[in-house]
Amino acid sequence: MKRFTIFVILGALLVMSLPVVVQGQEITLRWRTRPDNQAEIDVYTTASNTIDAAWDGVKLVYEPGGSETAGYQDVLVTELEAGTAPDVFWIPGTDVARFASAGLILNLAPYAAADPEFNIDDFYAGPMSFLTTNPDMNSDEEVLWGLPRDISAFAIYYNAELFAEAGVDLPGGDDWNWDRFMEAAMAISELGDDVYGFGMNAWWANWGYFVNAAGSSFFNEDYTACGLNNEATVVGLQAAVDLFRSGAAVPWGTDSEPPFLAGKVGMFMNGRWATPGTLANAGFEWNVAPLPIGPSGKPTNWLFWGAYVVNAKTAHPEEAWELITRLTSAEIQGAVASLGANIPSRQTQDAIDLFLASLPGTGINNSVFTDGAAVGVSEAPLFFGNWPKIDQIYGQNITEVFNGTQTPQEFADTICDKVAAEFTAGN
Amino acid sequence: MASLVRRSPRLSPQIFIPIAHLWNVILALVCISASVNIWGLSDFGNLGRPVQVFAAVVVLVPVVIALYISVGLLLHSLRKNPSGWLPKGHQTRYAAMVFYYVGMVLCAAALVETWAIFDGFEFLVNGFMANAWLGYGFALAYVLSWLSGRTFLPETLKRTLRYASLVTGFGTLIILLAASDFVGGMTSILSTYRQFNVIALTIAILVFAFLATQFLLHGEHFGERPHERTSWQGWLLLSPNIIGFMIFFAGPLLLSFYLSFTNSTVGRTPEFIGLQNYIDLMTLEFQTQTNLADPPQRALSFGFNVLGTLELGNTRYVLGAKDPLFWLSLRNTLLFCLLLVPLGVLPALGLSVVLNSSLPGVKIFRAIYFLPSVAAVVGTALIWRWLYDPVIGFYNYIITSVVNFLNTLGLNVVDPQIQWLTDPNVVLFSIVFLAAWQILGYNTVLFLAGLQGIPKQLYEAAQIDGANRWQQFLNVTLPMLSPTTFFVLITTIVTGLQVFNEPYGLFPARPIPVNATTSVFYLYNAGFFQFRFGYASAIAWVLFVIIFGITFLQFRFNRSNAYE
Repeated sequence: MKRFTIFVILGALLVMSLPVVVQGQEITLRWRTRPDNQAEIDVYTTASNTIDAAWDGVKLVYEPGGSETAGYQDVLVTELEAGTAPDVFWIPGTDVARFASAGLILNLAPYAAADPEFNIDDFYAGPMSFLTTNPDMNSDEEVLWGLPRDISAFAIYYNAELFAEAGVDLPGGDDWNWDRFMEAAMAISELGDDVYGFGMNAWWANWGYFVNAAGSSFFNEDYTACGLNNEATVVGLQAAVDLFRSGAAVPWGTDSEPPFLAGKVGMFMNGRWATPGTLANAGFEWNVAPLPIGPSGKPTNWLFWGAYVVNAKTAHPEEAWELITRLTSAEIQGAVASLGANIPSRQTQDAIDLFLASLPGTGINNSVFTDGAAVGVSEAPLFFGNWPKIDQIYGQNITEVFNGTQTPQEFADTICDKVAAEFTAGN
Repeated sequence: MASLVRRSPRLSPQIFIPIAHLWNVILALVCISASVNIWGLSDFGNLGRPVQVFAAVVVLVPVVIALYISVGLLLHSLRKNPSGWLPKGHQTRYAAMVFYYVGMVLCAAALVETWAIFDGFEFLVNGFMANAWLGYGFALAYVLSWLSGRTFLPETLKRTLRYASLVTGFGTLIILLAASDFVGGMTSILSTYRQFNVIALTIAILVFAFLATQFLLHGEHFGERPHERTSWQGWLLLSPNIIGFMIFFAGPLLLSFYLSFTNSTVGRTPEFIGLQNYIDLMTLEFQTQTNLADPPQRALSFGFNVLGTLELGNTRYVLGAKDPLFWLSLRNTLLFCLLLVPLGVLPALGLSVVLNSSLPGVKIFRAIYFLPSVAAVVGTALIWRWLYDPVIGFYNYIITSVVNFLNTLGLNVVDPQIQWLTDPNVVLFSIVFLAAWQILGYNTVLFLAGLQGIPKQLYEAAQIDGANRWQQFLNVTLPMLSPTTFFVLITTIVTGLQVFNEPYGLFPARPIPVNATTSVFYLYNAGFFQFRFGYASAIAWVLFVIIFGITFLQFRFNRSNAYE
């Protein structure tokens, strides 16, 4: 009996000790972003605490979400359905249209209009044009779906030691075009059976670079239809396929980062997010170079971005707007950028300077990323189409192209028919 | 449990039965009021009008049960012995026990939710983790307690150590609770008692518990027989599982069935669209094409994509589908199952025979082989991704080493350089190998249990008849293992048809290769990446029908063949 009583008392103590969210006069705002590692979690936690300390009447609760591969989106979608999602959260740029069209995120235009310190031109124009798109084509209402947390762009991460061994010039310079790029890749791949000249991953932006650099585009000008049914697509894809078929590239679909870090790949195309991992793990001399200029004759890149948005069901919309303006301030973005993984979404000189000064002493050519972002095609949320489905169909067919079961010409001839049903405008 | 029952207070039926009647009336009024409220709500959590109506009707079920109990109690008190559907005494008591017990559990769940205790767990864990070093206090308490039990120590020292152990243990607990905001948590819980619903739920729990206990204690009043007492005790022990099943499995199951007939998506109230999801999922189109220079896609109607083609002479036959990936994922799943069954069952059978022997260290090997089954799939899949890497992976390293060795012997062998996770012809095998490795240990344990249940006399008799080891295995082991084999086959096939974790873990980048897309992964993709909950529900139900059909056929087939 004594034991039973002790267990009951202990159980009661444990239950009673569970702290509950304190109800009070203070407004509590929950916010979440998708960090890629513990260092980012620490930076965002510090940022949250800094803002919290300077903001009377508002208590911030930062909830680090799972990483890209650890259910960030699954948890968020479930919470949105259950009505328990945070007041402010981050979503990838490609998701903005779906969240906005579904009424999940708040139109912040009225709050921005009432905020004298907000200037839309402080941010990169590409993301802002999507963040101000009204999914209702018949409506003139001004909208603002959020503010970009940060941006990123691709670069060529190169292994300088392999370049030296192969006796080819380091990438970059005015004549850094596909011819030099292909020659360098071939020369490096001849260094050994397990050495490759080039590597990239298989998601849309990677093969998209080849298509864009040849002068084609995923979509038409107003993003209401597929834009890949042209000769430039064939040219771009054929060049990429030839490179892969020649054996100079890490086999299609393989994660190229581990072999690059193992010193087996000469050039690896990836975003700024790969910089901290490369710094930590690459045991060779390396740096970054711009993407080579393709047949279009113009520098090409992507401008990746994600945005802080406000839950449509938040009880504190004004405070939520205030929070995202504080989270996207140059100071906070600079602190995050100092980790090396992110580029500020503000194109103001002070924000760019903060980024260019990041990772001092490493010798990394940070300007490659800002230059890439300046010419980058913005990652596009499709307001008039089902991007996940289109991405799936594009990806399925591109894999067939790289595996040889479909030619680039067949791809260009048929891909737009295959995705036509997934565009809503005009159907 | 029996001692607990004996010591609990018993009240006269003349007291608690009127309370039960009164409580039934209150419950009925509350439920009717709740039903009317639900019916009139303008928004029912984005679930749609049919769910709202269903919920309004379900809320009335307690009214019917309360009425049934009250009528039963009245008839029992009037010494009537009703016939037909009218409740008899012991039936009334069972209904009351279950009704009040379930009511208590549901109210308790609602109360802890209102206390926000589920959020509190997170804070508590954070508090414990932040002060994890305090855990040494428990270790110290244990050491002191252990020392106090040593016989070589003097009694006074033992007593002192015992007290020191208690003080250290409880002191650590109190400090840990204090560090985890014990006072704040208690104050917060107490502060919720300013809300009417918290007070009402607490009272409801007490009344439900009181009535359930009284009906439980007064079995003889309702003519309970001894075997019936053990019966309700069994049901009581099963009740957490049953209630959990109803709330967390049966409920969502019904909801998903409803959603499969709607256009449910995130943030929107679903609209009923009949069989449209099933039509989109299953619709096929068959066309012929005589101009072979045209791509097959051109032969199909708008909205259809190519699923397969066949060229015979100057004619191309094109099979299209509205959702070809669904069919491909189904094909992948069935193929996965076909490969998993032999790879996951036959080695397990062989291994279990080896592990059933009395070889030295065999228990360690049993544990080692079982380890993959208890390891997290996503974690092991990440390791397998590295093993499968075509450039720096272990498997290709081994293959290349073997090829190089063979070539030094003068054989001209070409290194296949297998693209484990990208070659469309290989990728499904890669997933199967991982799944088979994972399931092998589990199946081995099942076979091992089956082997250990085979009577030794059968082997002795076989030996006397002159059977060798292989003949014993064929004529004794295999037939006697058939119930286990049947179970292993069923669970392996169902596991195979539901495969999700392996492709999810092996391919962190989305979308994943087509030949690695299984039906459940496709379902998940439709729900969480495309936000098509209605469509995903339809996929789930189609898959359910397929799994049910295959399992049903297996049961029919094995019933006549299994050696019981």
